[in-house]
Amino acid sequence: MPDACGRTFDEAFLSGYLDQALVQGDEQRVRVHLEDCVSCRALLEDLASVRDATMSSTFDIPRDDEWSEAPRTGTSRLLRGLGWPLVTAWIVVVIGFGLWETWQDADNLFERLLLVGGLSGVSLLLISAFLDRRHAMQTDRYREVRK
Amino acid sequence: MVERQPPVAARGDTAESESALIDLARAGHTDARETLAQRYRQPAYLLAVQMLGNRDDAMDVTQDAMLRFFTTLDSFDSERRVQPWLFTIVRNQVRDLWRRRRRRPGDSAPDADSLTSQLVAPGPSPEADLRRQQLREEVWRAMDKLPAEKREIIVLRDFHDLAYNDIAQVLGIPIGTVMSRLHGARRQLRARLEEGGRHA
Repeated sequence: MPDACGRTFDEAFLSGYLDQALVQGDEQRVRVHLEDCVSCRALLEDLASVRDATMSSTFDIPRDDEWSEAPRTGTSRLLRGLGWPLVTAWIVVVIGFGLWETWQDADNLFERLLLVGGLSGVSLLLISAFLDRRHAMQTDRYREVRK
Repeated sequence: MVERQPPVAARGDTAESESALIDLARAGHTDARETLAQRYRQPAYLLAVQMLGNRDDAMDVTQDAMLRFFTTLDSFDSERRVQPWLFTIVRNQVRDLWRRRRRRPGDSAPDADSLTSQLVAPGPSPEADLRRQQLREEVWRAMDKLPAEKREIIVLRDFHDLAYNDIAQVLGIPIGTVMSRLHGARRQLRARLEEGGRHA
């Protein structure tokens, strides 16, 4: 592709030359042209200068312990796996026992209705939250990802 | 608070050790997974932060990308290089984040100096080093203003030192397109630097 400076190759070859990504014949063609062309030489020097600045830059990076996906230990996973079902079972038993006792101690129909109404409301809210949570999990694209 | 990453040239690892690590990780060796995570998390983070300009977003994206990386380990051809594959995942995660952000009108764009604020400042050094650091800051400030597709190709080639065929793989473009796109991006970056009053 002829150019005003007499170049017979695409200007992008200058980037290929800079990156040493040209085949031998093209690399030679560019080198020969650069010997005589001041403007292409100036462009190449500019590109090289910017590339060197990019290449030699150093960025702040997070420390290793800032990454939360670091795998937990096997013991930690096991204890956590046992802990949650135990806590859940304990909550169910304690609340169930409390409700049963309250029901037994209720003196009249009004107190029992108050208990049933409150309990029903809380249950509906929990079911709603559970359904939302289940829907979110089903539509999470990363649900199969293991941490 | 922060560490400095080793020079780009020191980051490479042999294909043999990479392949062996992948095989071990697939077989369920936790140590191999941890080694892979430690080896590749840093370049993945750097690519993310160079695309997003925000540390917290970059950490989230890197974390998601690493998780995706391990999930898809079984389908990875261990004869191929890990870095281009991981970078493809990071790039997709970054684009996912941008798509989500565009749906939220309240989200503000990163400020113009977001990338330069992530650069490590030089210590007491000779004047020549200070001038080089000044050029680095100007380059990243100009990079911040480039369209994403221009910035990513420059970053992949000039910072992460990826070969043209690896860049083609990450960007999903023919290898023959890489050189012309890269040159166009470099031209645009140079023009931005000149607009900013600086001749590279």
